[in-house]
Amino acid sequence: MGKDVKQMTSGTKERPAIIKFFTDFFDAIVKGDLAVKLSLVFMGAGYFARKQIIKGIIMMITEVVFILTCIVFAAPNLAKFGTLGTVQYEQIFDPLTMQTTVDDYDNSFMILLYSVIAIFFIFVFVLLYIHNMKEVYRLQLLSEQGKHVNTFREDIKDMFGKKFHITLLTLPTLGVVLMNILPIMVLVFVAFTNYDQNHMPPNALFTWVGLKNFKSLFSNSMTSTFSYSFGKVLGWTIIWAVFATFTTFIGGILLAMLINNKTTKWPKMWRTLFIIAIAVPQFVTLLLVRNFFADSGIVNTICSNIGLTGFLKNIGLVSGEYIPFLTSPGWAKVMIIIINIWVGVPYQMLIATGVLMNIPTDQIESARIDGANKFQIFGHITMPYILFIQGPALITDFVKNINNFNVIYLLTQDMYFTNDQLLANSHAKEVDLLVTWLFRLTNEYYNYKMASVIGIIVFIICAAFTIISFSKLIKGDREEAYQ
Amino acid sequence: MKKKLLSVLLCGAMVAGCLTGCGSKSEANTEAPAADEAAEEAADTTDDAAADTEEEAPAADTASAVDNLIANTSGTVTLRVWAGEEDQEVTQTLIDGFKEKYPEVTFDITVGVESESTAKDTILTDVEAAADVFTIADDQVNDLVNAGALQEVSATYTFDVKSENSEGSIAAASIGDKLYAYPMTADNGYFMFYDASVFSEEDVASLDTMIEKAKAANKKIGFQAPSGWYLESFFGAAGCTCVLNQETGVNECDWNSANGVAAAQALSDYFATGVFVNMQDAEMATGITDGSVCAAVNGVWNAQTAADAWGENYRAAKLPTVKIGGEDKQLRSVIGCKLIGVNPHSQFVGWAMLLAEHLTNIESQVYRFEQRGYGPSNIAAASTDEVLANPAVAALAAQSQFGNLQRVGANFWSPTETLGSVLAESPSADEIQGILDTAVEGITAPVEESAE
Repeated sequence: MGKDVKQMTSGTKERPAIIKFFTDFFDAIVKGDLAVKLSLVFMGAGYFARKQIIKGIIMMITEVVFILTCIVFAAPNLAKFGTLGTVQYEQIFDPLTMQTTVDDYDNSFMILLYSVIAIFFIFVFVLLYIHNMKEVYRLQLLSEQGKHVNTFREDIKDMFGKKFHITLLTLPTLGVVLMNILPIMVLVFVAFTNYDQNHMPPNALFTWVGLKNFKSLFSNSMTSTFSYSFGKVLGWTIIWAVFATFTTFIGGILLAMLINNKTTKWPKMWRTLFIIAIAVPQFVTLLLVRNFFADSGIVNTICSNIGLTGFLKNIGLVSGEYIPFLTSPGWAKVMIIIINIWVGVPYQMLIATGVLMNIPTDQIESARIDGANKFQIFGHITMPYILFIQGPALITDFVKNINNFNVIYLLTQDMYFTNDQLLANSHAKEVDLLVTWLFRLTNEYYNYKMASVIGIIVFIICAAFTIISFSKLIKGDREEAYQ
Repeated sequence: MKKKLLSVLLCGAMVAGCLTGCGSKSEANTEAPAADEAAEEAADTTDDAAADTEEEAPAADTASAVDNLIANTSGTVTLRVWAGEEDQEVTQTLIDGFKEKYPEVTFDITVGVESESTAKDTILTDVEAAADVFTIADDQVNDLVNAGALQEVSATYTFDVKSENSEGSIAAASIGDKLYAYPMTADNGYFMFYDASVFSEEDVASLDTMIEKAKAANKKIGFQAPSGWYLESFFGAAGCTCVLNQETGVNECDWNSANGVAAAQALSDYFATGVFVNMQDAEMATGITDGSVCAAVNGVWNAQTAADAWGENYRAAKLPTVKIGGEDKQLRSVIGCKLIGVNPHSQFVGWAMLLAEHLTNIESQVYRFEQRGYGPSNIAAASTDEVLANPAVAALAAQSQFGNLQRVGANFWSPTETLGSVLAESPSADEIQGILDTAVEGITAPVEESAE
């Protein structure tokens, strides 16, 4: 709301930032003097005219480097971007010299990757180019008005003074671009190709196939059960994420309150014990637990010795001679959620302890004086407070659980065999999350194209969920609402 | 472009000539030839090749090919080798021997840990970054060749790989008639080991007898059902096949034929007895140790557990016969070999090939058997008294005449895993056809759907 009002009051003349960005550029071209116009071709010209020699040289070098990269790197790759390469890998071994000769083959993946980098590189350069024009025009205006034009030394000083925020943000931005944006773009592109085990670079080429992969994910055909599996896996992913998030959240709060309770003896010892549980690497715990609950594992031995297996058999919950803790779909799903509570609660307890310690005691005091009992205090003061503080963390947890690879994979890999043949035909299992299915498709079946499609879907689900819940949870005036 | 095509054709002819040369020579010389002989033989081979390609290639024999290579090698030859974690020491020792063999050359050879069973996944993640020489299980040959991750063994230099190794192991290392890897062991298949206090030697000939005896002793027989690899024993026995069509890249499978139904029915009936039980490797090992399992279909990797648990009652044998559709059929096994492959993207392909030859020659195979108990694929090495005295290796040899080669595409594994898991729960007879149909649909699904 606030933003809209501000825009309305600050006058109708102000245009959206993007349009302003371009109109300023054209203004600079039209109104600029010769030096500025020359900058269209020689980027440093405008600086030389204002005696900013070093900056001019830097700009000229940038331009030359850009042109060279375009010729050497960007153009050859972008030229093949449409086909992703046409020359198949051929290798000849000469038995006499014991050497191999390889032809000048195309590597589809490298073409794709380099093209994405090249596109990005060009995009950045265009921004820089436009900015450069505006900058030299600004310098022209400054000198026309007889104002001081910064020397290079002063510019550098600015980078650590007035413009320090830009200096600070450069590295993180670069990191985000290299680590997140570029790989995601490559992943998105792969979803539109036929990159799979029959088309693996460097020995084979892959190419564009349009929306075919998305079609096969959403439509059942004679030969593919991807859409059936996708529905099942997505359903379980959501159920899992909801249960995993809320069970550990509530469990953590209850445990924290129990430990914080004045009647609990040695609270520090209890807390330390649970922190030790965190200190043990998760995969060690999970693999051990997996063996405990195996069909011939220790838990099953105990259960059959105390007669639990027999009892469950009598009431029809178990059909074999053991409890299929991690081997039948129903049991496995429940067990996974329970084991996850055990693994996840200590973390939530730590967070909840911190929150509980900061609850304003005055509110609890006054509630007590007003005659509220413990449950009322918990329901009306403690819980809303915790929810308010931990709301964003809860959403993050939910998204994290959608992608909770460790727990599911380590507990079920090599242990769980699906009896659903349709799932098996697309390499999925009942207990798979989208992310473990994705892992199996890429790691065991090299089906990168379908994995990319699933990756995009996971991304969309997570993004949509995060945006919706954040906008609901963290409206600007939430703090007052809590008070 | 034309020039390139020409050179491709010429080299192709050369390779082809070399292969035919190998083929004709190997028949004449079945006894393990001494190193000199082998070199001579290979020399003839390349002479043929040279003749075939006319004046293009210089007339040179393989000994001089190696000499040439040594002469042309300046600087350090850097090679990376991948071997299983338990074989690091043995491999290192063998590599030291290789270095001594070529004292003129400086080598920098490092050994990394990569289990044969997972090598394919790691290699295919990035072929160019994979090791130069690696150990693989033979069921990975298909995918690796498709991805261009195996250098074809188009010529041999220190001994004739094709004639010195057993036929089965060569078949396991080949696609069509092209050899793609060097056989290292021939013991990666499965057989049966049993407790002689429960079964006599006659009992283990038939699974039905075994089940009776085991029932009387209140013990179990272990079989790993959720695995297409083990399922081959029943379906293979019924005469069913499942093969990857190299042209289309799609599996061709008739497991849902009448024979397949009979095999599945038999398997399901055996599971219904409650004595023949579906169990995983780890479970089987536990069962053997605590005495509840008295026989198991498994491989050498669990044989030691059984030998320890059963002591002098430990026996190994070929798989028993089963009743499929009322007839006695011999259970088949999958021929399993461990192979050494060379990465075609290696910078020093020539040296990598020589190293692979060295790691799989008769001396190395004998050494590996002595150190690790691995059954050799080399014919001469496999027929020594020490090797024949090893019960597991002997049982594998007995089973090998009932061995099938499993050449399947990736889509085979998930559907058969589920198929085995379903059959282990003994579904009713009228469901079996449908179950097999669905499984075969998954097995024969193309990797890439054709455009509709």
